[in-house]
Formats: sequence, structure tokens, C-alpha cells
Amino acid sequence: MAPEQSPPGVRIRGLTVVYRTPAGELPAVSGVDLDLAPGTITGVVGESGSGKSTLALSLLNAVQPPGRIAAGSVEIDGLGDVVALGGEGLRRARGRHVGYVFQAAQNSLNPLKTVGKQVLDLGRSHGVENPRGLLADARDLLGRMGLDGARVLDSYQHELSGGMRQRVGIMLALVLNARLVVLDEPTTALDMITQATILRIVREVHAERGLTTLVITHDLGVVAEVADRLAVMYGGRVAEQGPTREVLAEPRHPYTRGLLGAIPRLVGDIGEAHALPGRPPTLADIPADGCVFRERCPLRMDVCETGRPPVVVSVSRSAACHAVRDDDGGRPAVAAATGEEQA
Amino acid sequence: MAVLLRRLAGHVARGFVMILVVTTISFLIIRSVPGDPLAARYQKLVEQGMAPDAAQRAVEALYGFTPKGGLWEQYLDYMGGLAHLDLGQSLSVPGAGVSTVLFSAAKWTVIPVLAGTLLSFLVGVVMGVYAAIKRTGVLGDLLAISGSLLHGVPQYVLALLLGAIFTTLVPILPAGGTADIMIDPGFTADYIGSLVQHATLPVVTYALAGYGGWILAMKSSVVTVLGDDFILAAELRGMKRSIVFRYLARNAILPLFTILALSLGLLFGGAIFIERIFNYPGLGLMLIDSINNRDYSLMGGAFLLITTAVVVANIAADLLYTVIDPRVRSGGEAA
Amino acid sequence: MSATIVPEAEAGGAAAVRRNFWRGVWRVMRRKPSRMAGAVILAVFAFMGIFGPMLYPDPLPRDTSALYAPPSLRHPFGTDFEGTDVLALVVTGSRYVLLTAVVTAVITVVVGAGVGLFAGFRRGRWDTVLMRFTDMKLTIPGLPLLLVLSTVWKFTGAVEMGLVLGLLGWGGVARAVRSQTLSLRERGFIEAARGLGLSTTHIVGRELLPGMAPYIAMNALIAVTGAVYAQVGLFFLGVLPFEANNWGVMLNLAVFGGGALTTTAALPYLLAPLLAILLLTLGIVLVVDAMDEIFNPRLREE
Repeated sequence: MAPEQSPPGVRIRGLTVVYRTPAGELPAVSGVDLDLAPGTITGVVGESGSGKSTLALSLLNAVQPPGRIAAGSVEIDGLGDVVALGGEGLRRARGRHVGYVFQAAQNSLNPLKTVGKQVLDLGRSHGVENPRGLLADARDLLGRMGLDGARVLDSYQHELSGGMRQRVGIMLALVLNARLVVLDEPTTALDMITQATILRIVREVHAERGLTTLVITHDLGVVAEVADRLAVMYGGRVAEQGPTREVLAEPRHPYTRGLLGAIPRLVGDIGEAHALPGRPPTLADIPADGCVFRERCPLRMDVCETGRPPVVVSVSRSAACHAVRDDDGGRPAVAAATGEEQA
Repeated sequence: MAVLLRRLAGHVARGFVMILVVTTISFLIIRSVPGDPLAARYQKLVEQGMAPDAAQRAVEALYGFTPKGGLWEQYLDYMGGLAHLDLGQSLSVPGAGVSTVLFSAAKWTVIPVLAGTLLSFLVGVVMGVYAAIKRTGVLGDLLAISGSLLHGVPQYVLALLLGAIFTTLVPILPAGGTADIMIDPGFTADYIGSLVQHATLPVVTYALAGYGGWILAMKSSVVTVLGDDFILAAELRGMKRSIVFRYLARNAILPLFTILALSLGLLFGGAIFIERIFNYPGLGLMLIDSINNRDYSLMGGAFLLITTAVVVANIAADLLYTVIDPRVRSGGEAA
Repeated sequence: MSATIVPEAEAGGAAAVRRNFWRGVWRVMRRKPSRMAGAVILAVFAFMGIFGPMLYPDPLPRDTSALYAPPSLRHPFGTDFEGTDVLALVVTGSRYVLLTAVVTAVITVVVGAGVGLFAGFRRGRWDTVLMRFTDMKLTIPGLPLLLVLSTVWKFTGAVEMGLVLGLLGWGGVARAVRSQTLSLRERGFIEAARGLGLSTTHIVGRELLPGMAPYIAMNALIAVTGAVYAQVGLFFLGVLPFEANNWGVMLNLAVFGGGALTTTAALPYLLAPLLAILLLTLGIVLVVDAMDEIFNPRLREE
């Protein structure tokens, strides 16, 4: 199946998602701008509560109540603005245009039906005229991922291991030839070997089928492994984004630096890893004004208390922080003074 | 299949023990009834001029064991009779075997209870789905509250209230019996109509009493499944609404089938109050009458039948679960 | 829990916890007026059970000129077949009903929690045997068993009746308490307490029971309704000798003596005890609902 056309690009603009709570509507994602370039793998990293999963669901306009998309747009090539879609049009787009792969730890299959029957249900939902062909495609995809396709199609969810379930999830996202794939925590709750296998599969399938891929994860290692570009989320906002290698080699936002500093190395003293002080904000205590990260920020200044931090753009990167200046190539202005410099 | 057989064997063994326990209880009760009904009966027969031998045989036929000998001997005698399905003779229905009396009464219990159970199951399940989907709305609230109230109120309160309304205040339904005694039994429209009319209150009461439990169980089951990942996953894969609904309904109703099988265990003994109130001559009314008439063999037989049904239903429920849930079927971890 | 691990904080901490607890109770009660109503209803029934019989002369006066009198200002629920005021019968009959219910609830909870804790705590052979026994008790249908037992056991008096109902009814509580104990065990809770060198009595009494107490208390209330239903039901069916005035006897006499299901005359006589049962149920349901929220912080957040 040669890609007939180029993979779709995605442009997220000013996306704000709010959740209704007793304390009023609180934003889980606020004013996010993010581009997924056609044919790339983009990784979104964040702690729990950073809004990364909400962002992923927004790509299918599938934010679950009591949440709703309050503002912004998600333009997908060949689909238009997903936020404006609804009803049957939205349903058809899901699965057909955008494939969504659930977290490995979740049970994303109907426990009472075999995988094959669920593939057929998928075909019936999307008006596939040749169910046999669809099953053959599913079998081939599973085979491509190193599974015994025929056997897996004949299995129930409980008969599959975590790694197998995850591959079945990827197969279901791709079997209708979706070119845009969203993977939500693809390796969570899998053992190390299976994690590596899944990531290899993601990379290979992405290249073979000419996809645009979004990977949501809390694990910087995953992003380093697969992503071309990286966006770091904190408190519902994008703190920093840019080419993975550049961001990891030379983080600008103090949060990214903190995340990197918290990773223990295989070589060297475990004491060198410094956990970020404090805890990530929950929906209820995200500061309404000012920088969302200031409570835990080593570079906190008076200016951080009010107003949104400016997005400092340089070439292919951007960071939203008062302490980052664009004139010296985006290095944190006061980093040297605090002695926070690291390799 | 092996799993199924292993489970079946275990259940049958346990059910056997249960029935053994129940029959022992029956035996002990018959034995320990104040005034020793066997001795009294024997005495009476001898006084009436019957030869001691014949009197003893008559009493033996009556209760299924001889009043002579030690406790253990009597017990074995009684159990031996049961093994041949010999439940003894009824005292209050002269000349009839206990099993004959039981089976003629059973139809008046089984049919209304079955009808009531299935009716309440169907309505309760449908309303439960509705209450779960509309759980934030007023109608959903009302459905849930009606379920809680009907579930919380004992059967006889419902029966008495319905009876007070439909036979006393607005007398549109008959107050008791199975059919109008003026109509000859037969396969005639009149008779069948009268049967239905007389069965209406018992069946409706039974259905209403059960309905609350079904709506609550189905509502909570649907709410649980709605929170399961695979429903959202199906939606995100763009599955048709009808297919997602089918996923939801099948998964939600699964545990209810087990409860249904269990509740069918009450087929013989579930309507005691209703039968007493509407004077409906089923097993429950018979059990009460046998107690009031001190007809201990009939009482023991009815108790045994009622309990056996529950034991069998327990086994059936578990086997049913094994058959309909692939997770249990393959011997894997149960959900 | 922390109070037992840090002894010096015990006195002050426990008092504060208790104060917070009552404040929480008050808040939960206030949010839904219906819960207040539930508590009031239960209080009224408790008052009725304790003092009700003292409010009326014994025996109750009979007005032989007014048999089955319709409801009036003097007789709000009419009179019975002897001309006795029905309301007075309901009030004086409540003691028998409620005394049985309380005895049943106490036995259900004590035996149920005891067996459940023991089985869950000891596990192994004892657990298996006790749970098989419990299963068996849960399987034998309760009402037929009670009916059959009524032929040998005369249930003389409210207390003995409560004793029988309690001894027949503890299976459910035992099962639930056992599974709670097992789940605490699985969380390493008991091993941790053992590791601290705490005695079994201490672990059960101070660590396990307090956590389960609310649950057990709710079960006690539910056992009260169950006991009321069963007892009133048994008297209503007429398998027990009528040794004292109570609601079940009233129902029986109204239906099978007064023909309340065929004539309207005895209808108030039938409806009065029914109303009492419904009100008591309502009160208990509302209070259980409130308790559920007090002891289940997840629900409180709503």
C-alpha cells in the first residue's frame, strides 16, 4: 500500500479546553499552539495533569464531559477544522482519518468479542465494502508487528499480553489507512523489552506507511527514542518546543531543564539526579494569572506573577518564559547567576 | 470444556451437601415437633382399633420413617425414602402422596413467578439503561428513586397496597383464587380470561417487587461499563453508535444474567406473601397451610423442593456465567 | 491511624478528629434536608418504642359502639374490630417490633463482624470452613426456613424473636467484613502492624475495626429494616401465636379478620401499620444515605 498522497499536517491554534467543576470552568489546556509537520513524529511530554492527554483527545474533538473545547482550532489536512466537526462527519473522521492508540495499560478492546469480530465492527462502521480484505489487512499488519495475525484475530482481549494488546491497538488505528496517528502513553505499564519493541514498531510503521504521528508520554526517554520534534507541556501550556535533539541537548525553559536534571544516569552517582521541588499543579490550583510554573521555578522573578510569559521564538524552537531572552540565542538570562548550569 | 466440567463437579458436590443439610433440618424438625406427631398418630391409630403392625406401617408411610428405633436408624430410613423420591403421605390431603400434592401446587407458583420475574427483568433492564444514560437528568433521578423505593419495600407491603387499591377502593380485580369458581375449567376464552384476571395482581406485585432491584443493578452496571476504556476506545475508532451501544449493553447485562438465574431459584418459594395475600394456591400458600395444619411431611417436602430449586439455580447461574463470559470460559482471570 | 503510632499526639489528635467528624456530620446533614428528616423520623420511632406504651392505659380502652369506625378526630386511623383506636395500637405495638429489630441488628453485627474478622484474619482452614458455612446460610431461602422453624421454635417474646432473626441473618455481614479484612491484609496493613510489634487484640480492635465501623453501622441499620420486615411478615402470615400487640398482628387481623382487601371498613386498620413500616424504611434509607456520604469521602466531594 503505497502512500498515494503526502501525510497530513496538523495546525493547532489557540486551543483551550476547560473542565466544569464546582469551582467553575477550569482550563486543562489553555491557548496551545502546536504544529505537527507532515510525515514527522512529534512527542508531547508532561507530568500527569499537564493537559497532554486532553490535547491528544482534542485532535479527535473527543474531550470527554465535563470537559469541552472552549476556544481554538485544530486544522488537519484533508479534514479541515476538527473542532467544527460534529455528528456523523466527526465519527467518520475518527478511525478513518485519525487513528487513536490507547494507553497500553488500558483495556481498549471489548472483552466479549474476538479481535477479528471487532475489526469487522470497525469495517461495518466505516462502510468498508470488502470485510475479507479488511481482515487480511489486519492480519498482515499484525504479522508486520511480529504477531501471529490469524491467531490474534481469533483471540479475546484477556488472552493477549500487554505488548500484544498494544500492537492490536496500533493495528486497529491503522487498518483503515488513517495517516494521522495519535499514541497516548504507548509504553506505559509495559516491561522494558516490550517498550523497546513497541517503539521500534512505531518508528518503522511510521516510516513505511508515511504517517504523521503524535506520541503523548510522560517519559522523556520515549520521546528521545522516537520523536523528531518535542513539545514540553506544563499546567496546560506548551513550555517549550523544538527539534528533539536540540531541546534535549540545550533546554531553555527552566521546566525542561528540571525534567532533564531529574533523570538518574546509569553512570555516576544517583545523588546527581535532582527531583523537581514541589508538585505539578492540579486543575484546581493552576495559577489563573502569570507563569504556571513559577511556584516550582528556580528562576522566579517578580514579572512572573502577572501576565503570560512571552513565547520566545528562535529559528525552529520556542520557549514560553520571562527568563529566556532571544538575543543570546535563547539562553536563560539568569541561569549563570544561579549556578544551575549542567551538561 | 474441562473448566466447565470441573466447575460443574464442584458445584454438584456442594449442592448435594446443601440438600443433605436441608433434609436433615427437615428431619430434625419433624422429629422434634412438640408432642411427637408420629407417636401421637400411632397412638391414635391404635386407639381407633388398628393392629400395632398396621398402625406402624401407616405412620411410616406418612412421614417416610418409622417412629421406632434410634434417632440414627430413623434418619437413615428417612433419607433412604428421599433417595427414592418418596416424600411420604400428606396428612391434610388424604390419600395423596406428598410429591403429587407438591406438583399440583407448583404450577400456580411457577407460572406467575416466572412471568413476574421475566416482566420485571425486561422492564427493569431497559429502564436501568435509560436511567444510567440520563443519570444527570430529572427523569433519570426519578427512575432511580422509584427503583430504590420499590427495592426497599417488602413484598407484602406492595401486595397489600396494590390489593387495597385494586380490590377494595377501586374493585376492578378479583381479591383471590385462580379463577372464577362459576366458570367451568377448560380451554375456553371465559376460563382463560378469568385465569389471567386472577393472576394479574400476583404477577404485577411480583414484577413490581423485582423491578426496583433490576433497575438499580442495570443502572450501576451500565454506569460502570460506560467508564470502561473500551467504550471510549470504540467511539474514538469511529464505531457506529448502534455498535457502541451494543458493546455497552452486552457488557452491562452480563452480570445481570447471573442474578436472573439466581432469582429463578425463587420460582418455588418466592411468592409466599403474595400467595397468602391473594389466596393463590401455590407452593407458598401450601407451605403455610401445612404448617397451620401440622402436616409435617408436606411441610418438609415443600421446604425441600423450595431449597433444592435455589441450590440448582446457584449451580445454573455459575455455569451460565462460565458459558457466556469468555474470560471465565477459558479459565483465565475473572473480570 | 497516626494517633496510635505517635502516642503523644493521641489525646489531642483524637479529640480534634472527633470534633471534625461531628462537624462533617453536621455539614452532610444540612446539605440535604431530607437527611435531617430521616434522622428525625428515626428519633420519633425510637421515642415511640421506648415511651409509646407509657402514653396509653393498659389494656387499651375499647369503644364497643364504634367497631371499625372510620377515621375521625378522635381516632385518626379509625378503630379496629374491638373498637380500639388504631393509632394507639400502632404506637404501643412499635415496642415489640423495634425491640426485635434492635436485638437482631446487634446479633447480626456482632456475630457477622466477629466471624468475618476471624475468617479474614486467620485465613486458611478456618476461613474455608466458616465461609462454606456462611455460603450455606446465604443459600437456604430465609423465609421458608423461618416458617419451618416456627413449628418448633415458638419465638416467645420480642427478644427471642430477635435472637433467631439475628442468628439467621449474619451471613451477609460476615462475608463483607471478611473481604474487607482480606483487602486490608493484601495492602500489607496487618503485616506492617505486626512488624511494629502490636498485639492481635490491638490490631483488630484499634486498626481494623475503626476502619470498618461505619460500614458495620450501616449494615446494622439495614439489618433493622430486614428484621422489621421479617418479623412483621411472620406475624402477618399467622404462623406465630399472637402473644402481644404488634404491627404484624394488626396486618393479619385487618386482612384475614377484617377483610380489608374486600371491604373498605377495615382499610384504615390495614394502612396504619403499613404506613408505619414505610416511614421507618424511609427514615433508615435516608440516614444510611447520609452515613454513606459521611464515611465515604469520595462522595462528599460532589
